[in-house]
This record gives sequence, structure tokens and C-alpha cells, in this order.
Amino acid sequence: MLATCPACGLLCDDINVSDPLTNTCAKSISFFSQPSTEASPSIAGKAVSLDEAVGHAASILKSAKQPIFAGLSTDLSGFRAAFNSAQQVQAPMMHMNAESSWRNTKVLQTRGWQTTTLMEVKNRADVILCIGTDVVSHNPRFFERNVWNKEALFTDPQARDIIYLGGEHLDASAGVSPNGKQPTVLPCALEALPEITAALRALILNKPLKVTTVAGITINDLQAIAERLRQASYAVLIWVAKDLDYAHAELTIQNITEGVVALNEKSRAMGLSLGGSDGDTTVNYAHTWLSALAPAEHDISQHDAMVWINSFSPEKPMPTTKAPTIVIGNSNLQFSTPPAVFIPVATPGLDCSGTLFRVDSSIVLPLKQTRASTLPTLAAVMTQMDALLT
Amino acid sequence: MITLLKNAKIYDPAHQKNGVKEDIYIRNGHIIAKPSDTEKINETIDLKGKVVMAGAIDMHSHIGGGKVNIARMMLPEYQEALRYSEPEAHICGPHCAHHATPSTINTGMHYIEMGYTAAFEPAILAINARQAHLEMGDTPMIDKGGYAMLGNDDYFLRLLANKADQKTINDYVAWTTNATQAIGIKVVNPGGISAFKFNQRRLDLDENNAHYQISPRQILQSLSRAVHDIGIAKPLHVHCNNLGAAGNFQTTLDTMGASDGIPMHLTHIQFHSYAAEGDKKFSSAAAQIAEALNQNKHITADVGQILFGQTVTASGDNMMQHLNTKHANPKKSVIMDIECDAGCGVVPFKYRDENYVNALQWAIGLEIFLSVEDPWRIFLTTDHPNGAPFTCYPHLIRLLMDKPFRDEAFAKLNLDAQAMSNLTSIDREYSLYEIATMTRAGAAKLIGLGDRGHLGIGAAADITVYTEQDDKEAMFSKPSYVFKDGELVVKDGEIIKVVWGKTHTAKPAYDKAVEKGLKDYFDKYHTIQLDNFKISDDEIAQDGRNQVINHTK
Repeated sequence: MLATCPACGLLCDDINVSDPLTNTCAKSISFFSQPSTEASPSIAGKAVSLDEAVGHAASILKSAKQPIFAGLSTDLSGFRAAFNSAQQVQAPMMHMNAESSWRNTKVLQTRGWQTTTLMEVKNRADVILCIGTDVVSHNPRFFERNVWNKEALFTDPQARDIIYLGGEHLDASAGVSPNGKQPTVLPCALEALPEITAALRALILNKPLKVTTVAGITINDLQAIAERLRQASYAVLIWVAKDLDYAHAELTIQNITEGVVALNEKSRAMGLSLGGSDGDTTVNYAHTWLSALAPAEHDISQHDAMVWINSFSPEKPMPTTKAPTIVIGNSNLQFSTPPAVFIPVATPGLDCSGTLFRVDSSIVLPLKQTRASTLPTLAAVMTQMDALLT
Repeated sequence: MITLLKNAKIYDPAHQKNGVKEDIYIRNGHIIAKPSDTEKINETIDLKGKVVMAGAIDMHSHIGGGKVNIARMMLPEYQEALRYSEPEAHICGPHCAHHATPSTINTGMHYIEMGYTAAFEPAILAINARQAHLEMGDTPMIDKGGYAMLGNDDYFLRLLANKADQKTINDYVAWTTNATQAIGIKVVNPGGISAFKFNQRRLDLDENNAHYQISPRQILQSLSRAVHDIGIAKPLHVHCNNLGAAGNFQTTLDTMGASDGIPMHLTHIQFHSYAAEGDKKFSSAAAQIAEALNQNKHITADVGQILFGQTVTASGDNMMQHLNTKHANPKKSVIMDIECDAGCGVVPFKYRDENYVNALQWAIGLEIFLSVEDPWRIFLTTDHPNGAPFTCYPHLIRLLMDKPFRDEAFAKLNLDAQAMSNLTSIDREYSLYEIATMTRAGAAKLIGLGDRGHLGIGAAADITVYTEQDDKEAMFSKPSYVFKDGELVVKDGEIIKVVWGKTHTAKPAYDKAVEKGLKDYFDKYHTIQLDNFKISDDEIAQDGRNQVINHTK
């Protein structure tokens, strides 16, 4: 059976989940080989029935003045149900990737952008510029599936120019074409990226720069990149917001996106934000259509109760808070201190079907149930809780 | 359970009923013939002094899918007013910007509050159809459906360039309609969205897409023929080339002749009715366009009226929207190329009555409304949110029904624009019967909704009851009652019951062999599996909250 993998934003839907798994990467193997754990709902570490756990969770939420729903590692139907419950108790919602998503949202809400999707990359891109990222640390199969494809509609895949600009400890091996064509790699420290991207944007705009190097990269090298972008039939400039982990990273992203806008005055180029995990794109989109607003960042310490939802990634840490915490999520979750309530639920793509948005935003794919499970879905738990919150 | 609506004054153009007094009986969500005297009437509502029409149908409104949601995400300031609890912060009316990017919940609520019981998303990118249906699924109160976009997707353009026969094209169009759960097919800037990806910046009707060496005219011929052959009721929905460009009316006139007499619907035709006369090289071609519409009986159109205020334009036409980014207000925009399928452009806009071009756009729309003779072939739209939010419909209806009101508004326009418009010389005022035709009977007939848009026996009981008033804006803003599938859901303009509506689709037949070529194309060039492209009835039904209705007989 071919299944869709929710382990990163690419949502590869060619994973053969029969034994052995094929068309995989380290992330998908780790996801699909999660043990099926028979965890019981618990209150302060003591096993209880689902009804008791849901009842206690509802009572915590009802007595809280400012609860928050966080984590939100789930699929569309789980998020829809969580949204309804959050509305009932007037709780804001924040995804575990909010900090990096918010870097992109700030750019969108300030200037907008000009972007493309994976199939355009696969069939059109003749120049791919990865800025501050090697992509594959987040999306292991990006080059395999969308760059080194055998055939493309409008370009010769093997002849593509791959350029890595900036970033540290990059794994550029995926940027080598199958016939051995090497990528251009110009690394720099993370904190130099604002300067480098500003310089590249200036050169794209034909503004003269009175320096010979910027953060260790020569102007001639940057000028060559700008020229290659201008000459491209279809250039794609890629960033991963999570990799731009420093203050005001949105200004770096804006240098990239405004560089694209400038290129599009005369030639064709597009931006592409990659990365993504734990249903973050799905949560951003569904929150936006259900409330007319994109989700924002919140300070968890300001809230007197937290619902932490984590269906996909048991290894990911939960933020610490003194407030009582209701954890609803993957049955393999481990706790150093047991939360006030823990309710194990089905993981979409393993224990139940589901729906997710791909990181490039326009494509929505169904997830299949790929193993037997008796765990309830997040939606079922939320619906049960809803009835107690009214 | 039978409900009787007594003493109704009925406007039902599908049955030529122009203000006749009749009773309406409702049972199990449908209008029934007068029951026998032995049957029990459970509820009687006296509608003396009220006007009764079928629920209104918006045949073109961007209510769901990627670009609307990008607009919501990009423009949080539009929702700012909703954060304030002070009453003085809420001086907003139907033109307020938050109506341009409403949540799906508010979309459904505001439609039903105005007596609309269905709305159709006119620009579903086939690859993005699942998102469009998810958003429409979260839109309560009303029925919905959509038109899938073709004509810029590389699969179709390759077929056409390789001179595929019409049957192959027909199968692909029918397959796409099924796979995307659409009820119609749309083409946006035929060939132009694709051409933009090859760095072409404009495309005329007889100019070739540089890569495929085929013209918009060939695309229109092929798609209009396909839609006709496969038996979809809704004619091909056409967003012409050269959107918004001065002098584009000639393209629009030529487009009317491109389908060899096969029906086509030209959408938001106001944006395609511009001449380039006068000092400012921008003038009205409404007279020529209206005359052509009157002559060409195979062509229908909706207007896409603009109204003044802050809104956002969201279009699949990224070629033309890219040119519009320099007019963005506030200064931000999104342009996307999407998945070798289409694209989109989202550009916020503020239409101002003191601006020459905007003032003339307003006048051009009204000139078209008032000069097209047959209300069955012209439809009331603002191309929500592109010309104005749909919440402005009652205001627009008053402009059409009330000449003194219209003339008063005209007198406030930019003076140069006034000098270039003949609007005040048009005396026509739309009647209630004509409004009912445009917004109910005509729309249902156009889309092929047999049991909607009328009040005959067997019709779905989507019924709107207004209190007759001289101020038509007030009258159409707040219906006294709205029934959705026989249930009373709105009383005195307030929602009293939440329902979820259904999804209307067409499922034309096709040769299953079409999937052979598609499978090969998906495996080589696509990024997803062919099977994942197709949307099932179960996905839309959402455990029974929604339901797919198939209008293909």
C-alpha cells in the first residue's frame, strides 16, 4: 500500500508501507516504525478511564481564566475539533513551530511575496539557490523527488545549477547531480545572513556596493549569483524559516522575497519556503479560514492552564510551565513529571486516516490508516470534552 | 410536518409569477402541492405585506480556496475592528474591509442573513480543490459548489499542442470535473497564466503562448466545445484575457465570437469593458459590450460591480495581477505559480470615488447592468471580494432599482469621470421580478440546479421572505424569514438555527481509459499520486455534516 508520510512538510505520498518500507528517508522510517503502545489515559500519572480523564481535563479548563492550546501537532480534523474546544474556553492557539512560522508570517503581512510550488520546481527550475539551509536536514527527499528527477517538462534536470549561499554545517551532498555536476557552495556564519542577503538583493537591483567582500564572501561571487539568477529561465530561491534562528530573521527572509520581486520585473524567479513538520502548515491555514486571522505567537508562561497536543512526534519536548497541563497525543509520549492529565490518541497516518497541507501550501493530501489501533482520535476526544465545556 | 406560508406575494420568474398572491406548503424540505384537507398543517406563518422569493444564489463569489485564505493571512488589519469591544469602534457597514476577508463561518452567516442560500466558488484550481472544499465545508448555512479551472494546466496545453482529438479533451475535462467535485469549468486568462511562467507579460486572444504555440482562441474553442459535449449545464466560465487593461473591450467582443456559437459565460465583465479614449486613455465601453450581449444570445455574463471602499482582489490571473501589484493598497501582494496547473495573485485594493479610474469602473458596471435587456443573461455579482464584499449586494440592488439614489451617488464621483459616463441618461429601474430573475431563477438555470432558484412544486424549500419597503437596500439587507431546505433559519435578520448546507456537483461520464495517459503524466512529472488528486464523496460528506448532490442526469 502506498501511504503519505507526515514526518516533514513534503508529504511524500509514494511510501510503500508493506514490509520492508520503500521510498523512505530517515524521518519516514522513524515515523512509520513507531511502536504501537497500549498507553492508558492518566491523571497525575495514575491510570484512569477515558471518561475520567476527559472529565478532569474539562474541569481544569473550566476553572482556568486564561488557558492556551499549544503544540497542535495534529491533522486537519484534529485541529478543527481543537479549535472548537479552544473557542469554548476562549483560549488562543499556538503551534509548536510557531516561532519559525511567525518569521514567514511577518514577511507576508508586511510586504507579501512571490512564491512557487514543488511541481514547478521539478519541471521548470534551472537555477536553485538554497539560502542559509541545505534543505535535506528538514526535507530529506527534496532533491531526490523534485530536483534529480529523470524527466522534466521544460528543463534538463541534470543541467540544473544548485547554489548554497550561507549557513553552517551544510550537507551539500544532495546537491550533486546524478552525473556528478557539483553545486556551488558559499558557506557563512548564520549571523552573517542578514548582511549577505541584503548584499545579494542590492546586486539584483543593480545597486553598486563599495566593498570587495561581505562576511567572507567576495562581491564577485555574489555578483555571479545575481547574474545567474537574472539569466535563469526559472530561478527558485529557497529558505527554511527554522534554520534562520536569530532575532529579526524576518528581515533576512524579506531580503530574499524582495530579491525575487525585483527579478520578476524582467525575468522569472520565485521564492519557496520549505521545512515544516507536525501539521504546522495545516494549522496555519485552517486557523486562518476558521477565524479570519493567522495564528500568532504567545507566551505560555502567561497562561494558567495548557492543553498540549502532540500526535506526530513523541520525541519533541513540551515547554515547561507551572500551570496544570493536559497532554493529548501520541501514546509513546514520555514525561519526567506526569502531567495533570494525559490522554493518548491515534496518530494520523498510522492509527487513523487524516488530511494535511504540504509545506508549499496549495496541495492537500489524505493520510491513510496504516496499522490497526484502538486509540480514539483527537477529534473524538475533543468532541467528548466539548460537551462538558458548555 | 407541513408548514404553510399564507398570503405570500410571490416573485418566481421560473414560473412567470410576478407578485401573485399564493400560499406555499413545505414538507420534508421541499415545496409541495396544497395537501388534502385531512392532512394536518403543523405551522402557519402569515406573510401579509411580505415579498417572497426563492433563496438567492451567488453564481460567482470567492468563498473558498487558496487565494482567499492568503488574503486573510496577509491582511490581519482588515479584522482589526473586530477586536474592539467599544461600541464606537463599530461604525462599520457592509463595505467594511473585514467583510472582504471573512472567516468561513462569517461568510455563511452573512450570506444567509441577506437571504442568500447558495454561493459558488468560481476559481477552484484543480490541484487545490481539496482545500476549496475543506473551506466550503466549514462554511455554514448555505449550499456551495465550484468551477474547476482548466486551460493553463500543462496537461491540457500539451494535449492541445499535440493536436489531441476532441474526444480526448472531453474525457479529460469530464474526468477533472469528477475528480475535483466541481459543477462547472472555468478558464482564466486562457493560456496566459502558463505564458507568464515562460516570461510573457501579456497575451491577446490571437497571440500564441510562446512555448505551446497555441492561442487563447484555440483554448476557448476546445474547452467550450468540451463542456458542451460532456453535458455540463453550466457553460464554460470565461475570465477573458487582458483583465483590467484600458482598451480591453475589443478582446472581450472578440472572445464572444471565439466559441462558434457554443454557450459561454463571460465573468466580471465590468473589468473587461474598458476603452482607451479621452485625455486619460481610459473610458467606458459599456455600450458596445451591452449591445454585443444583447445580440449574442449564446453569451451570458455577470458584472463584477465595484463599490467604493477597502477590499482585496484575489484572482487566478497572476499574469495581470503581477502588473497590478504596483497599485496595491496597502502596499503588499502575493503572486504564485502553482503546480503546473495555474497560479494566483492577491492584491489589496482601495476603490475611491474621487479617483478617475475607480469612479468610471463604478459607472461602467452600472451602465452594463442597465443596458443589458435580458435579466436571464446578466447576473448580479461584485466578484466578491474583488469589486466589493458580497455584503454590499443590498446597496447594489438599490442602485439598480432606484434612479434618484443612483444619480445622487453619481454626483459624488470624480468630475472627469462623470463627464465620461452616460449613466444619468439611463432611466431604467430594475423591478423586483427582474432582481429575482438575476439573483435566483437565472442563476439556478445557468448552473443547472433544477430544484433551486424557484418556488414550484418539488423545489427545495430555500425561501426568502422580505418586508416590502421603499428603501430597497434596507429591504434586501434584512429578510423577515429565511428557510433553508424547509427549516426556518433566519427570523428578522437574525440567525436562529445553524445548518451546514450541501455541495452541488456535476458528474459527467468519461472514458476510463483517460487515466492511462494521466497516470503516465503523474508518474513522470507530478509530485503526487494520481489517486490522491481525486476527491471522494466521503471526504466532502465529513461524517454526514455535508452531502454531495450530483446534478448530472
